[in-house]
Amino acid sequence: MDDGRIVVSALTKHYRGVTAVDDLSFTVEPGRVTGFLGPNGAGKTTTLRMLLNLVMPTAGTATIGGRRYLDLPEPDRVVGAVLEASSAHKGRTGRNHLRACCLTTGLPLTRADEVLDLVGLGPAADRKVKGYSLGMKQRLGIAAAMLGDPQVLILDEPANGLDPEGIRWMRQLLQGLATNGRTVLVSSHLLSEMQALADDVVIVAAGRLVRQGAVADVLASMGGDHRVRVSTPETEKLTAALAGAGATVTADGPGSLVISGVTAAAVGDTALAAGVPLHHLSAESPDLEDVFLDLTHAKAAIR
Amino acid sequence: MSRTTLMLRLVRAEFYKLRTTSTWWIFTLATLVSTTVMLIVDCVNANSLLKPFDQYVALEAHGHGGRPIPAEFLAHMRSEWELGHSAVTQATTIYTAGQLIGVLLACLLGIVLITSEFHQQTATTTFLLTPHRDRVVAGKLGTAVGMAFLSWLLSTIISVTTGAIFLHHLGYGTQLGNAGVLRAIALNLAAYAIWAVFGIGFGALIRSQLGATVSATVLYLIGATAAASVFELIYTYLIPKSWILAAQVVVPAVASTVMISPTKTFDQSPPQWVGAAILIGYGILAGVIGTQILRRRDIA
Repeated sequence: MDDGRIVVSALTKHYRGVTAVDDLSFTVEPGRVTGFLGPNGAGKTTTLRMLLNLVMPTAGTATIGGRRYLDLPEPDRVVGAVLEASSAHKGRTGRNHLRACCLTTGLPLTRADEVLDLVGLGPAADRKVKGYSLGMKQRLGIAAAMLGDPQVLILDEPANGLDPEGIRWMRQLLQGLATNGRTVLVSSHLLSEMQALADDVVIVAAGRLVRQGAVADVLASMGGDHRVRVSTPETEKLTAALAGAGATVTADGPGSLVISGVTAAAVGDTALAAGVPLHHLSAESPDLEDVFLDLTHAKAAIR
Repeated sequence: MSRTTLMLRLVRAEFYKLRTTSTWWIFTLATLVSTTVMLIVDCVNANSLLKPFDQYVALEAHGHGGRPIPAEFLAHMRSEWELGHSAVTQATTIYTAGQLIGVLLACLLGIVLITSEFHQQTATTTFLLTPHRDRVVAGKLGTAVGMAFLSWLLSTIISVTTGAIFLHHLGYGTQLGNAGVLRAIALNLAAYAIWAVFGIGFGALIRSQLGATVSATVLYLIGATAAASVFELIYTYLIPKSWILAAQVVVPAVASTVMISPTKTFDQSPPQWVGAAILIGYGILAGVIGTQILRRRDIA
């Protein structure tokens, strides 16, 4: 495996009367965590399943390291995927599920125990999957995906069902894998989680690409509406001073102002020059949530 | 890696998957119970059929309360007795006692192997690990045939041991040196295997587990009877040619009966190989169409 780049090219899927994915193209680079974002019904799951040969595209191609998933000689060594909470037989134990996977792909059975430890599922390994919580099933799914020690990891809404501790654990795991040079593609509609996790984002809505790029670039491209929030007992005096510096100032409750059009440093300098005491000063960057809602606002989530 | 290695790996994994769920012991238990029940029925029947005619009548009609048996009924009994009054015939029946339910179980196992992937929602894992779906089907085919073999083996060991002791004890000899008897035991294995293949094809064709198992069971259990009536009607009212009656072998259940029985199952029944060819044909047809559908099916 020399290259774990994912290339999606003009991918399209029509279901009866509905275009779930519409001429979608994007690339996912190795060594980075890429967030695949979109509201529910945007076509994320369908896209990931087409990438993995589970759903047949109406048109277009999707390749991993230059090959279709179907053409990979040993797909489990190249790609690990977590698509739904584990997809394991309910009557089988977690360990036996993983062992069955090992037997299918020719891995030693001990690999099952290794990945169980990796995801912290060791104590529950010999319990039947039907007794697992959703979070445990997600961990089992991640364990199965890691069996072949793949170069590429694809996860569909992995945060579903995980508690805050589990989410932090997963974030560290995925970021660690990306740091090691692996490709990590994670779909989510939980934007705040993506902001903390992803290096790049691919934003889709209504089956179409809305924006792709590094998280910071996508944020900046949205106009970079950085704002500064201050608290001061002398709001009128500061407002006047800032107006002279070319800033837009709006009152935000008693003793509090929100300023845009200048940097936080400029606000501090202006206040000092005007002899106005500041009790609080903070720079606020627009969060992904706002950008995302702006970007996907016009597209109906349900078609 | 060679195709054979790959196939063996997939079959081994499928066997492991079977062993780690309840399907394994349910299937074994069903094989044991059905073999035992049918064995008892067949031994009881053999016991009376192998007796001289007057004793047979006495045994079979002991519930008649000593009243004279109507001549018509007596004639019917005589033809039954003449058909079954042979140690070879009875040995064949007893040694293949598990067959009636056993081949149905083999077929159902084939169906379950395929449909449980969707029923238990494990298809995503399975097709991620083996994206070439025809290989998945081939692996399951090998597993179904292997399981059919084990089921036949278990059933045959029970039937032959018990049956041989039983027949020997009654003084008819074990008949295990008879070529016809041995051929019947071997053909019985073929029946198990072919029905397992048929089950795989049927399961690939019909996605719903319940739908596939119920329709296969109905087709098997009442297929032969229904076919006999329908073809009789066609013969009587539409086309009074005797080949119409022979043609009922196209019904899978009839084909199966024709294939395994060394004697004629009905007056116009074609030779055994015709039954075998038809059943294998159905298995291949269902398997090919089912695999083609499966290859294009979206796993969502």
